[in-house]
Amino acid sequence: MSGNGILIQVQDLVKTFGESVHALNSVTADIRRGEVVCIIGPSGSGKSTFLRCLNRLEDPTGGHIIFDGVDLMDKKTNIDLHRQKMGMVFQHFNLFPNMSILKNMTLAPMKLQGKSKAEAEKEALALLERVGLADRAEAYPNQLSGGQKQRIAIVRALCMKPEVMLFDEPTSALDPEMVGEVLNVMKDLAKEHMTMVVVTHEMGFAREVADRVIFMAEGKIVEENTPEEIFTNPRTERLKNFLGKVI
Amino acid sequence: MADRIYRNFIVDDRWKYMVDGLAVTLEITFFAVIIGIILGFVVAIIRSTYDKTGKLKILNFICNVYLTVIRGTPVVVQLMIIYFIIFGSSRDISKVLVGITAFGINSGAYVAEIVRSGIMSVDNGQFEAGRSLGFSYIQTMRYIILPQAFKNVLPALGNEFIVLLKETSVSGYIATQDLTKAADIIKSRSYDVYTPLLTVAAIYLILVMTFSKLLEIMERRLRSSER
Ligand SMILES: Nc1ncnc2c1ncn2[C@@H]1O[C@H](COP(=O)(O)OP(=O)(O)O)[C@@H](O)[C@H]1O
Ligand SMILES: [Mg+2]
Repeated sequence: MSGNGILIQVQDLVKTFGESVHALNSVTADIRRGEVVCIIGPSGSGKSTFLRCLNRLEDPTGGHIIFDGVDLMDKKTNIDLHRQKMGMVFQHFNLFPNMSILKNMTLAPMKLQGKSKAEAEKEALALLERVGLADRAEAYPNQLSGGQKQRIAIVRALCMKPEVMLFDEPTSALDPEMVGEVLNVMKDLAKEHMTMVVVTHEMGFAREVADRVIFMAEGKIVEENTPEEIFTNPRTERLKNFLGKVI
Repeated sequence: MADRIYRNFIVDDRWKYMVDGLAVTLEITFFAVIIGIILGFVVAIIRSTYDKTGKLKILNFICNVYLTVIRGTPVVVQLMIIYFIIFGSSRDISKVLVGITAFGINSGAYVAEIVRSGIMSVDNGQFEAGRSLGFSYIQTMRYIILPQAFKNVLPALGNEFIVLLKETSVSGYIATQDLTKAADIIKSRSYDVYTPLLTVAAIYLILVMTFSKLLEIMERRLRSSER
């Protein structure tokens, strides 16, 4: 079922908040293994909701999410187990402020995957090395800059060895001079063929790194294509309009 | 002065009332604090789980009744109800045990609201980060939320236990010989009201100040781990 290289299959996903807010109106999409998918669209179009439904941080109202051949909407599915394979990075980092960087990174592998302290720390340090923050292992989150925090948040998720990484506007809360360092880490991940779903306003990143770009508006996928086509040959008025505003 | 000390403490070894009373006060407070913490955390977790997820509806209802009743009635009345009504038929029950039960149940209600406010004060992003890593609801609470909540409410918790220590002074209503009751007994034998009462007041004061100091040290230590 995970054939065709499809890792996540989203079928007719619906999410409403209360009676009147239709955040997602029957969204259908596939995420293939090793692919980088960028989701763009105006604010309030349902990008975050879509992403957060993928690991059921938001409980969908209807539809199916097939991850690795398992329907995450099935009541019998142990969602905690599947979340271990889906790393998530938030706009506001959400590092644990009462723990050192190393502790932030080793907590989940030790408690959930039964790794020894030594093993978990060794893997964490190797990842810190890769993002150039090995010397900050003993620091606490509020001693770091925003860019450093977000790089830590990324490697914290990577410590669980996920099959896919979900990013929700990872650079939107950063000062402009720190955006590059975070995008670079994400580019490196893409080069290593990590499957990534990235909600972003960084059109340059989407254009350069994405294999596919999804344009959402009003809870629907309006256009879905290669970055080349999306940015140079938009087909709908909506997308033309949107690109006109952001570029 | 020497005469007062002699009449209040030396004759018939009256100082023993004080020492025994102090031991009883400390014993009741210590175990009531433990019951209060356990009860308080359980109630707080149930209530905030209901607030966050809408689950545990019935347990939440029971907790609300508990909080309303306990916080809406005086602790002396609760103490007497537990002693004279609930344990009324078994009159040989230890009064200290009754005190521990009553003050523990009472304190649990206040601890619960303190801890709940602590849980609510932790940013929801912490919760989402925990869940997204694969921690279950309970694990997220235990490893991520509660340690932060505890740190946030430590001063309020400390204050609650100081209040509890002082509140145990009403134990005399069920004839428990705690520290306050000891002063009462001595005063009725020495015919001196000043010395025993002022002595007991000084002992409470020293206990409270020592406890406050310990809390301050603990807080500072917890905070320094975050810088
Ligand atoms: N927790 C929520 N409660 C109510 N409405 C929400 C909630 N989260 C999102 N929404 C609404 O759903 C719609 C889509 O939101 P969102 O997915 O955050 O959009 P985007 O990420 O594209 O800006 C918006 O109208 C938003 O107001
Ligand atoms: Mg969003």
